[in-house]
Amino acid sequence: MNAPSHLTRRRALQLAAATGAGMAAVAATGPAAASPGGPTSSVFRHGVASGDPLPDAVLLWTRVTPDPTATPGSGAGPRVDVGWEVATDPGFRRVVRRGTSSTGPARDHTVKVDAVGLSPATTYWYRFRCRGTTSPVGRTRTAPAVDAPVARLRMAVVSCANLQAGWFTAYRHLAARGDLDLVVHLGDYLYEYAPGEYQARDVVVRPHDPAREMVALADYRRRHAQYKTDPDLQALHAAAPWVVTWDDHESANDAWSGGAENHTEGADGAWTARRAAAQQAYAEWMPVRYEPGGSLYRRLRFGRLATLSMLDLRTYRDQQASSPLDPELSAPDRTIAGPEQLQFLLDGLADPQVQWKLVGNPVMISPVRFPNGLESRAVEGIAELVDLPVPPVAGAPYNVDQWDGYPAERAAVLGHLRDRGITDAVFLTGDIHSGWACELPADPLTYPVTGVSVGVELVCTSVTSDNLDDILGTPPRTASLTVETAVKADNPHVKYLDFDSHGFSVLELTEEGAQMDWFVLTDRTDPHAAAVWSTSWRVPAGTARVERAAGRLA
Amino acid sequence: MSGDVLSRRRFLQLTAATGGTVVLSTALGAPVARATGRLRVYVLVVDGTRPDEVTPLLMPRLHRLRAEGTWFSGARSLPVMETIPNHVMMMTGVRPHRSGVPANSVYDRAEGTVRDLDRPSDLRFPTLLERLGARGRTTGTVLSKEYLYGIFGERATHRWEPFPIIPVSGHAPDLATTDALLAMVDSADPDLVFVNLGDTDRVGHSDLTGTSLRTARTLALRNTDLQVGRFVDHLQATGRWSSSVLLVLADHSMDWSLPTGVISVDAILRSRPELRSSVQIAQNGGADLLYWTGPAAGRDAGLAEVRRLAAAHPGVLSVHAPRELGLGPEGGDLVAYCRAGWRFSDPEVYANPIPGNHGHPATEPIPFLVAGGHPAVRRGVVSGAPARTVDVAPTIGALFGLGSPHGGYDGAVRKEAFAGRR
Repeated sequence: MNAPSHLTRRRALQLAAATGAGMAAVAATGPAAASPGGPTSSVFRHGVASGDPLPDAVLLWTRVTPDPTATPGSGAGPRVDVGWEVATDPGFRRVVRRGTSSTGPARDHTVKVDAVGLSPATTYWYRFRCRGTTSPVGRTRTAPAVDAPVARLRMAVVSCANLQAGWFTAYRHLAARGDLDLVVHLGDYLYEYAPGEYQARDVVVRPHDPAREMVALADYRRRHAQYKTDPDLQALHAAAPWVVTWDDHESANDAWSGGAENHTEGADGAWTARRAAAQQAYAEWMPVRYEPGGSLYRRLRFGRLATLSMLDLRTYRDQQASSPLDPELSAPDRTIAGPEQLQFLLDGLADPQVQWKLVGNPVMISPVRFPNGLESRAVEGIAELVDLPVPPVAGAPYNVDQWDGYPAERAAVLGHLRDRGITDAVFLTGDIHSGWACELPADPLTYPVTGVSVGVELVCTSVTSDNLDDILGTPPRTASLTVETAVKADNPHVKYLDFDSHGFSVLELTEEGAQMDWFVLTDRTDPHAAAVWSTSWRVPAGTARVERAAGRLA
Repeated sequence: MSGDVLSRRRFLQLTAATGGTVVLSTALGAPVARATGRLRVYVLVVDGTRPDEVTPLLMPRLHRLRAEGTWFSGARSLPVMETIPNHVMMMTGVRPHRSGVPANSVYDRAEGTVRDLDRPSDLRFPTLLERLGARGRTTGTVLSKEYLYGIFGERATHRWEPFPIIPVSGHAPDLATTDALLAMVDSADPDLVFVNLGDTDRVGHSDLTGTSLRTARTLALRNTDLQVGRFVDHLQATGRWSSSVLLVLADHSMDWSLPTGVISVDAILRSRPELRSSVQIAQNGGADLLYWTGPAAGRDAGLAEVRRLAAAHPGVLSVHAPRELGLGPEGGDLVAYCRAGWRFSDPEVYANPIPGNHGHPATEPIPFLVAGGHPAVRRGVVSGAPARTVDVAPTIGALFGLGSPHGGYDGAVRKEAFAGRR
């Protein structure tokens, strides 16, 4: 369902006024007609993608439909060979690598190719061929050489794209930028719900396929396929390499190592089988260096400028505490990362040869205490946003599904940063459908006096998924403002918070500093929505502080 | 001005701008300073300053230098994060396993005692000071701390003996140190001057409000900044600025602990008398150097047990073999680091009462900037390059066209700070 156009314009004006941005900052484009290579063919219906760039290699992805029987999740259709080629020009006059890969129903006709032997910090174009048809052309870029100085790295940061809750215009605006080295997706790339179970307030903008909660392998495959038919998503996949991790909705809401909030053992089958299905479909359908049975957590390096440690905070974690007051919360051995991944994270943070230590962190690590004095409707709204069965309690952590529910392990991470004098650690986070810029207090007790911070956390908002104004049923930037002010007052390390907007972020790293721009959509239910620059926050190198930037990135 | 000959040096008594008296000594036969337009390099060590203290409010002059020159945002001190080894690394360009200087305080096996490394003979690697001197350049040391004055000895062409010395702290105040620096520049105008300003470190050590307000520390930072500004103003007023390169950095930073955050390895080992009697401890604030002195036959098993017992303490961050940290045999057999907010106190828990400490990894981040009016200095640059204290010697050596020492440098030339060198 589309919102009337006058609403869209009014929303744009509201946002422009609220953020201080002029209308000049509003960019409106229609939905992507197709991927750059031309109209979507019957063989290549799901676009092309690339991911996990290394200095000499990049992962290429597509999915073929060689005949009408080979529909996603069907397990039907022939085995076929798919040719691929990589060129240094979009016209493919200078092809540098080519090859053939075989696929078939066993992997749902998806193709993943590790194109090796490439040059570092180089832009390439790639395409596939199958049964006489050529795919759309994708653009990708390799990572800089390991020890190379890097003047600038610019990346999109996105999360929480619920197809039922709106249009992926955020992806379209990002695809149109042309300045991205990569796209970091922090999870909730897709949602498991059936139509009507979770959407835009009470409006199903686009119903999910299959029309049921995904539980079996065929369900997960079909849902991935549905998302990959979105032209905006296809456009962004074709525009830059992605680096992805999953959060919970790639399997089921509030997943943990032994189950999920949205999983009923028995009725939904066994959790181990459901998770295995979700992970297999993810491995098949995402441009990621991950295969079932392996580890999703991994680290990419971008010269001397940055590493990006992508975390999997669902597979190894203990079950969430039942409430923020659950005494289990303070158990010293509770884990969210699992011991091996925790060590992997700590090792990456301590690398002395790299300046920026980015962490692709699916759920927030900043401590957030619930504030006093909010009216009850707002309290209930927050409870709904974070899936709390009971309203949060003032002074207690408000969301035990994030690192706040695993305080001992968080203390190990923040203590590691402090004990080792680690600088320029930046956690990039999604999950919470809201925009945040936070410092990470070395010691929460003395932080209000000393302001000593050991790192920062920058949180992108949701592409479409509901947030506080949606839950409260209030106009954007009205009721939520009180809540945001109270949260920031009670949590002085939280410098920026927007509980209402949908959109995307762009992060730029240089040796001088990191800056994140937040862009918000005029209306997620409008396929023609504009993206408006909302705010920008900067992290000067070596400071572990966030400060409001003078302007958006040029 | 009066001259006096003692041993191989000539002594000069000068009147400082602030009215005090400065006594400098100069090696006999030293070349006379040359033309005014030649390169001058000054290394100013703002001892124990944290990088987050170089702010417009606390240290406006340093902050201006940082903005006008090249700021290394990820600069770090090297093990052990103490004053003497990092000053030695700055002037040699090599790590302690080659210089013989791993910490402030070591157990001297030959003498059977724990002592400071404050003798000229403790430093076994040639420094920039004598290497430049051999090439006809003149150098100077203006070091506020007695033990630095001690270890660098008579290596520089011109040398100031710290005076007046503040009892207990063993250092001269920054005002007197800067007086001496100005006097040396005016009278001898060396090509390279190596300066240590000790106030921020000494006050930081004793600041009881260090974990929160840092009241005394803040005053010390402002004063040190004032002295650095005074020196810059002097270079500008005397026409030297346009030919000067300044490297301003700290040797280590500072971390504060409460009286509850104290670790005594001696106390840990007291329940095991056979171990305690076989281990000597050189306490270095945030690091303890442990030396096996017991029977050789029991060494490996004994050290393994000492490591296990020390590592089990909640305030101990890690325990290392010295070679993992670039230290030689002078560093002992084990090095224990504490966590942030802790300190070692050995042999007794009251032996180290000072709240501000360093030596542990939390005190690795340091301010490090290159500024000056010399045309080669890049302006307004922030570099994330992994600058280290050991990079100072190779960087200065490159500026003067000096080759590498025998065996090469362990540090790197920080080309990022100079035009046309990246």
